[in-house]
Amino acid sequence: MLTRAQVLDPLVQHRTDEIIVTTMGATRPWGRISDSDLDFASADSAMGHAADLALGIALARPDRTVVCLNGDGSMLMTLGTLATVVGSGATNYVLFVMDNGVFEITGHQSVAGSEQIDYAAMAEATGFQRVLFFEDARSYAESVEEILTQPGPTFVHLLVEPGSEGPISRNDREKGRYLRTSLADWSRTFKAALETKD
Amino acid sequence: MTEILHTLVTAGITHVVGLPDNTSAPLFDALSDHLWLRLVTVTREGEAFAIASGLWLGGASPLVVIQNTGLLESGDSLRGTATRMGAPIPILVTGRGYSKMKEAALTPSDLRERDLLTRGDVDSVALLTEPTLEAWGIPFERCQAEDDPSTVLARTIESARSNERPTAVVMARGLT
Repeated sequence: MLTRAQVLDPLVQHRTDEIIVTTMGATRPWGRISDSDLDFASADSAMGHAADLALGIALARPDRTVVCLNGDGSMLMTLGTLATVVGSGATNYVLFVMDNGVFEITGHQSVAGSEQIDYAAMAEATGFQRVLFFEDARSYAESVEEILTQPGPTFVHLLVEPGSEGPISRNDREKGRYLRTSLADWSRTFKAALETKD
Repeated sequence: MTEILHTLVTAGITHVVGLPDNTSAPLFDALSDHLWLRLVTVTREGEAFAIASGLWLGGASPLVVIQNTGLLESGDSLRGTATRMGAPIPILVTGRGYSKMKEAALTPSDLRERDLLTRGDVDSVALLTEPTLEAWGIPFERCQAEDDPSTVLARTIESARSNERPTAVVMARGLT
């Protein structure tokens, strides 16, 4: 099983111009180690819709790789998005499911069916081009560069330890810059950055 | 359907995101192999708003097309993405139940009491659609039998852009 840092640190090291969409438990930790205008927190509302939001960005920008750092609870809320991703034909899309088996933000209540669900098998059955499963940090770290550069859609299922992230807010006490402003304002910052970095 | 497609192309719409119903099915059929407009078919209507919001973030110009039943399913997705982001996303809502509502001499302003919502000759979704849009803070226009769908749709797209917020047209009639 990986820690969250063991998931995110190799990703920030190998990232070049990829767009990163975070949600729930990954939001604050990513904001602590990354300070890019191409980060987007789908965090304070519309739970479960990070994966489909990221797909929209990927469809608009086929020249960029879009990575969504999803949780297992969030994934279960929109399982149909797995089919939508494949049906859309997007190849520049990477969906991480950081599976800790609990709703961490609300205090570690169990996610329904968490002991039995095989997310990688679901993604494979749906038709994802590449499906990867990791439960140890070393093999994951060795694969990150390939995950970011090979054509997808790619699904990455990671078994991670529950952390201790609490509810996410948007205010200037947050360390991540993308949480220190409103969703509307950050959306415009993100759009402008994407346009100028063409 | 040619006029609707012409309106979308002229307005610079790049993607249509949604799920078909009997009213919008001809539009989805026409979009399946359209030269410029890309169709993204979702599995549930709430997805449409998140995907459309992502498309807008990426510089595209999407239109959401869903039935009013699916609109009711989409509440938190619409609120938490397009509305919170101030994303200028036009929404074409096909209006199931409007003809029954008209035949029963009812309007969306009628009190939504138990007896009305349980009547067999009334499709309650038509009674709930416009009050729901009002409650969610979504500006909308109803397109009725005497209106031209393309004209009203063009106006909705322009309104969404000028006001920087999701804006709906409720089709209380067919698309052609």
